[in-house]
Amino acid sequence: MNIRDLLNKRRVYFDGGLGTLLQKRGLKAGELPEMWNITHPEVLTDIHLAYFNAGSNIVCANTFGANSLKYDNLEEIITAAINNVKKAIELFDGDKNECFVAFDMGPLGKMLEPMGDMPFEKAVSLFAESVRLAEKHGADLIVIETMNDCYETKAAVLAAKENSTLPIFVTNVFDEKGKLMTGADAKAMIAMLESLGVDAVGMNCSLGPKQMLERVREYVKYSSLPVIVNPNAGLPRSVDGNTVFDVDAEEFSDVMKEIASLGASILGGCCGTTPEYIRKTVEKTKDLPFIPTEKKNYTLVSSYTHAVEISDEPVLIGERINPTGKKRFRQALLENDIDYIVSEGITQQEKGAHILDVNVGLPEINEDEMLVSSVKALQEVIDLPLQIDTVKASSMEKAMRIYNGKPLINSVNGKKESMDSVLPLVKKYGGALIALTIDENGIPETAEGRCEIAKKIIDECKKYGIDKKDIIVDPLAMAVSSDESSGRVTLEAVQLIKEKLGVKTSLGVSNISFGLPNRPAVNSIFLSMAFEKGLNCAIMNPGSAEMMQSYHTFRALKGFDKGCAAYIDFASRITLKADSAACVGAADNENGDGLQYFIIKGLKEKAYDNAKELLKTMKPLDIINGHIVPALDVVGKRFEEKTMYLPQLLMSAEAAGRAFDAVKSGLSTGKAQSKGRIIIATVKGDIHDIGKNIVRVLLENYGYEVIDLGKDVPPELIVEKAKSEKAHLVGLSALMTTTVEAMAETIKLLKKECPDVVTMVGGAVLTESYADMIGADHYAKDAMGAVRIAGLVLKG
Amino acid sequence: MISLLTKAADEIEVDKKQALRFMGCKQEIISEDFDELYNECLELYLASADLKAVVRKTDVSFQDGNKIKFDFGTIESESLKKNLRGCKSAYVFAATAGSEVDRQIKKLSVMSDGKAMILSCIASSGIECWCDFINDEMARNKVLRPRFSPGYGDVSLCVQKDIFDFLDVNRKLGMSLTEALMMVPVKSVTAIVGIVEENI
Repeated sequence: MNIRDLLNKRRVYFDGGLGTLLQKRGLKAGELPEMWNITHPEVLTDIHLAYFNAGSNIVCANTFGANSLKYDNLEEIITAAINNVKKAIELFDGDKNECFVAFDMGPLGKMLEPMGDMPFEKAVSLFAESVRLAEKHGADLIVIETMNDCYETKAAVLAAKENSTLPIFVTNVFDEKGKLMTGADAKAMIAMLESLGVDAVGMNCSLGPKQMLERVREYVKYSSLPVIVNPNAGLPRSVDGNTVFDVDAEEFSDVMKEIASLGASILGGCCGTTPEYIRKTVEKTKDLPFIPTEKKNYTLVSSYTHAVEISDEPVLIGERINPTGKKRFRQALLENDIDYIVSEGITQQEKGAHILDVNVGLPEINEDEMLVSSVKALQEVIDLPLQIDTVKASSMEKAMRIYNGKPLINSVNGKKESMDSVLPLVKKYGGALIALTIDENGIPETAEGRCEIAKKIIDECKKYGIDKKDIIVDPLAMAVSSDESSGRVTLEAVQLIKEKLGVKTSLGVSNISFGLPNRPAVNSIFLSMAFEKGLNCAIMNPGSAEMMQSYHTFRALKGFDKGCAAYIDFASRITLKADSAACVGAADNENGDGLQYFIIKGLKEKAYDNAKELLKTMKPLDIINGHIVPALDVVGKRFEEKTMYLPQLLMSAEAAGRAFDAVKSGLSTGKAQSKGRIIIATVKGDIHDIGKNIVRVLLENYGYEVIDLGKDVPPELIVEKAKSEKAHLVGLSALMTTTVEAMAETIKLLKKECPDVVTMVGGAVLTESYADMIGADHYAKDAMGAVRIAGLVLKG
Repeated sequence: MISLLTKAADEIEVDKKQALRFMGCKQEIISEDFDELYNECLELYLASADLKAVVRKTDVSFQDGNKIKFDFGTIESESLKKNLRGCKSAYVFAATAGSEVDRQIKKLSVMSDGKAMILSCIASSGIECWCDFINDEMARNKVLRPRFSPGYGDVSLCVQKDIFDFLDVNRKLGMSLTEALMMVPVKSVTAIVGIVEENI
């Protein structure tokens, strides 16, 4: 029998702990447990057999750490490990048809990029190697377990999907607050894993069964897949120098009975549990009625921390990461200014967006690369789910692959070509899908016509196994200025599609007002009307006060906002904005010279507003020379005199930068004269970049053009950029003694390949003499030091 | 036996003076504006830090030259030998403020490098205070040596690998080492603390 068939029929049992049992048999601390598959096969077979005898159906081979990072003889280890379980099945007296060998796959022990230095694809290929060997040598299923990071879990699942046809079971480690080490909650993991198409999901390790109860309830509520629960035997404590666990087999199995009656259907144990724990669990649960797993209808998308549920309560999708009609954004894309893109995301999050649309398509750039780097940069710091928005299938696939969670896909439409290219990607990588009601014949003029196309897409999705709950239909709001029925038809379509097809809906709201004056008024009223018709998602600008007002008012009036708390908060912030405007004026009057004051105090937005104000009466260059530069001089002087410190200096630099942004728009060239081009980077192997960032900010403020290559940058790339960007000065940063070597290597390569380039170095562990030793031309003690060196090297 | 310790960020007070020192500031000249900024970043730290640590005891024995044998392996170091003089055992611990703090620092740096630096220094002070707390816990009824971290004196960072395995930190704390032997999350500490005398 196949394990998948068994899951539909009855409760299934895992084995329990292995590590503690091996230690009892003599495995020493520091010894690699997987080696025992070869050196002590009889011990392993003995333990596996004890679990089958206790009632386990699935026994994990001793392969938790079996990957090529740790073992050169991987195939030998995996073969032996699987054979040890097979041998136990041979020796087992009971029904061998219900015994399965699981290939056990634990974490790699390395944090994935961007937090750590393991590239996502490298992790996939390491897992893939083990998976291929597991299938080749006869494993019945892949168990991905003890995963404490969402991204690594995805890497392991992709590897398993791409390299075998075996069933995939996944368990994650939640702490008492219900989070993985890197922040994901249960709902986020369920959303992503179900969408990736695994066979069972659940939890193991870290907690005892009692502490898992709340999590089990959550899993059973949201998961359409069978739920696995493999707790520890409570918490470890030390008795006479030995580790013992505080929950015995009796108590453990009592709680497991409760867990089974909640609806978890795959039960076993983790650290500290023994065959006795499993035997008692089987005894107490085998006669409980089996609850088959039911399909759930939650529409979820997720980030690396949480899932957003698309339901009757409206969800806002921020539309600002998009170059259409935005000069500044186009410029950012052309200049590869990823920070600008990320800052647009952060601002929308602060304004209240729940999901961020990401569209970075421009004919002049490589969209595949840009979409991937934007998604990576956004998911590094923003915990909102992303909506991947592109018409290019190759860009979509690459972005979906490296996305950390379950994305929203924008979009598919009723054209055959669109469905043929998008749906296989959703099937493979998972995701919820925006479906546009347009096909080869255009956009139907009636609500019924749009509903027809929606139905066609839903039917096609069914063929791929993409559930209706993951389809969000967008009936396409068109400009009411060119067709006066457009608003009415779109609203009717929202209602009809919801009622007739039972799917969620979405609209790009602001299209409706195209060509009309006072667009915010039209948008906000249309938004309220659409919400009332049952619209679930609004793709819009969360920076629009009018639309946010509609949103908050709707929630309050519909009873989604307890005590109207969110509405009151929103309303109070609107008033605040008027106050701060008044404040700008007051400070200006008091000091006579507002801009300098704001820069010295590091007040960014005030500096920006003030500079804009000054532009009305002054020439841009006069503002720079008469206000910005003198303010920076004061700040620099105070810093040298130690009456002002680094964070304050940085805040002032940022305020000056904002003022400069305001003034720049008034300059005819758009760009001020650069004093010279400098490349800076944190060297290979080093992941600290705050010091380098400070240097960048200061150099930019002193008028240099800085090309920041980031952290962990290989010497070859620095050399390549020094050549292609024709930079005369290269600044290198390193914080650790171990990475100074990489710095020396970089300098050596630079001297060889670009003998004209001058190098300056800095960082916590460096000294003047150390810098000399590794051949650097200059040593910068601090950020101001770097500015002085730039002045020396790049003068005239 | 590996013991796991956890605390919410607000249970361990951050030493403000130390945080300011990391920023290169003297407390007496800090203005009200700056205080506001500091408090804003402190709030962020308290909301994102998740303090966790593991502690395990090891035997200590001194061998030829500067070799010191621990349960996790041997370290050759003059400065550590000096630090551990007279100790027969020691605690080894790993402590972290968690990955979310790293993320928040990175996020702030997109909007404001100044604030990112303040948050980074608050987090550095926070993790030091967390280590002080762990130290105090270990020091009950004992006399301990000052904590000694890999990378101090002549102790190579290579010993991190053995310490990470010994403490099972990847599984227990979600910490890992990069190829260049740096710790992830960045706001993390590992240390050896010699036990001079027990049961006093």
